[in-house]
Amino acid sequence: MDVLGSFQHLLGGFGVATTMQNLFYCLAGAIVGTLVGVLPGLGPIAGIALLIPATFGLNATSAIIMLAGIYYGAMYGGSTTSILINVPGETASVMTCIDGYQMARQGRAGPALALCAIGSFVAGGLAILGLVFLAPPLAEAALAFGPPEFFSLMVFGFVVLSNVTGGSLLKSLMMAVVGLLIGTIGLDPVSGNPRFTFGQVSLLGGIEFVAVAIGLFGIAEVLDNVEKPDAILEQRVLVPRFRELYPTLHDLRESLGAILRGAGLGFGVGLVPGPAPVIATYGSYMLEKRISKHPEEFGHGAIRGVAGPEAANNAACQSAFIPLFVLGIPFAPPTAILLGALMIHGVNPGPNMIAEHPDLFWGVVASMFIGNAILLLLNLPFVPLFANILRIPKKILLPLVMLFCLTGMYSVNNFLVDLWVMLGCGALGYLMRKWAYEGAPLLLALVLGPKLEVAFRQSLMISHGSFGIFLGRPVSLVFLLATLGFLLVPLAMRLVRTSGAPRRAA
Amino acid sequence: MAAAVALFLLGAAAVFFSLQLPLGTLRAAGSGLFPLALGVLLMGLSACHAAQLLLASRSAAGAAGERPESYRRVLLFLGVVAATTALLTSVGFLLSAFCFLLALMEILGVRPRLMSLLVSLVTAGFSYLLFVRWLQIPLPKGWLGL
Repeated sequence: MDVLGSFQHLLGGFGVATTMQNLFYCLAGAIVGTLVGVLPGLGPIAGIALLIPATFGLNATSAIIMLAGIYYGAMYGGSTTSILINVPGETASVMTCIDGYQMARQGRAGPALALCAIGSFVAGGLAILGLVFLAPPLAEAALAFGPPEFFSLMVFGFVVLSNVTGGSLLKSLMMAVVGLLIGTIGLDPVSGNPRFTFGQVSLLGGIEFVAVAIGLFGIAEVLDNVEKPDAILEQRVLVPRFRELYPTLHDLRESLGAILRGAGLGFGVGLVPGPAPVIATYGSYMLEKRISKHPEEFGHGAIRGVAGPEAANNAACQSAFIPLFVLGIPFAPPTAILLGALMIHGVNPGPNMIAEHPDLFWGVVASMFIGNAILLLLNLPFVPLFANILRIPKKILLPLVMLFCLTGMYSVNNFLVDLWVMLGCGALGYLMRKWAYEGAPLLLALVLGPKLEVAFRQSLMISHGSFGIFLGRPVSLVFLLATLGFLLVPLAMRLVRTSGAPRRAA
Repeated sequence: MAAAVALFLLGAAAVFFSLQLPLGTLRAAGSGLFPLALGVLLMGLSACHAAQLLLASRSAAGAAGERPESYRRVLLFLGVVAATTALLTSVGFLLSAFCFLLALMEILGVRPRLMSLLVSLVTAGFSYLLFVRWLQIPLPKGWLGL
């Protein structure tokens, strides 16, 4: 598909995205996403998972427009709490705390919030343009992928995600295997035989991934907050007034370069497996600090330390849709939830998705442009309004979130067993946090497990039982070698460090 | 270490139950082959992790232990969620939601109590209108029949 073709399809997408219904759901997604981002703890994963049941009566396009809006809306909203109370609304906003909160302490919360919104808008828009022009040729290239390539790519994704989530690689890999094991419960995707159902009809459809997601990320977050001291649970925030929000021309000039660099960096990072927004924001902050003439200002309210990471965050979030739509493989937990939502609505993302569901693909892409514009409007003048939600003490907010989790989960299938699974996963997620186990690899593996198994078994069928098929196909071999590299490099580095330490000591 | 042991046992259970399923051959894998491989992998990884922990605990012998934390509220919270789940069908959504919120706010020590009462009442009523009346989600009616 050429550039002109992409433009024509995008125009068609605007026709889909600008119907009254889709505009409404885009607006709803943007508002809910901003709220989810503003609320510390309730990140985009739990936010999307909670809202999936509300999309059951909708067509797939409207549903994905709203859920995607929650994802990128949360990225906008996440910066608000980082700047105002030094608590990141979601993990990708951690870097924004450093200089954003310092700016707030200097009485410049308004410009910091405004530049976050402007940076997110510019970077988001550029990343969507990248999505428009890069997705169709990538999808055509991915048509040549067979089961061995998909298997190796998924294994690569798991290992990279496990390696970059910040915790122990071994623990993350174990969580990925546990997720894959949970994914085997239900009907065998190849033969249709029941597995690990122990005669329970409700388990034939497998473990409800929404229950696992809400449990691991929603309930566990609430429980984690519950044990905090009363002082934190009663914390309130001072919100800037509307007239304090505007940045000066100097602020804008100062931030423009950082925004553009952040957009480029974030876009690239979003295309590879891992928690892209987190890596992109960290990379952007370090880049800005390194190239700055005044690196000593970073950590003390440097505006480029706010604008760059926020731009990178949004660009990474938008470009993460490319592997989801083009390969059908989510490289990050929020897109894993979106994959689940797509499948619930009968859409199987992959290389054929653009051809099979052009209205959905181009409609969602066009809605992202509209959603970004809505978010800029919401986040500039209305930031004080959204930040007002932080005035509600957590002591009241936590029970409300818990009720929403319970009701949202029950409305997915109307099965009580799902509530028990959610509760169990909530307790498990809480313990996992205590023991420093990551939930993201488990969730990603749970969603991708059946696909991985099918690709594995089909590959062996094609090769008549020979594992050589994974090494004999160039693309598959490249992914496996990259996987090996990701596994061995940290080990080698650790060995070098430990062998160097005694020498230094001597 | 407890987590590593639990994961090892989970892997062992996966191996045990996978062996009850048809394994097939590599050319035509049966239902049990993939989970069997995963079970073995989990056992191997958790054994490595346990070994790592043992080595680390030996080198860090004498280090200060973790600060003890209060799990009381967390357990109470989980207890209320479990009780609500168990009683949801018979008590119904509206009453369950009200009692659920009231109990959780009491655990968190929201004061004055009149505020918890009002917030619980308004939120339960609003949720009922939103989910049951507006979104038409068939939530349990219970004794009240609402």
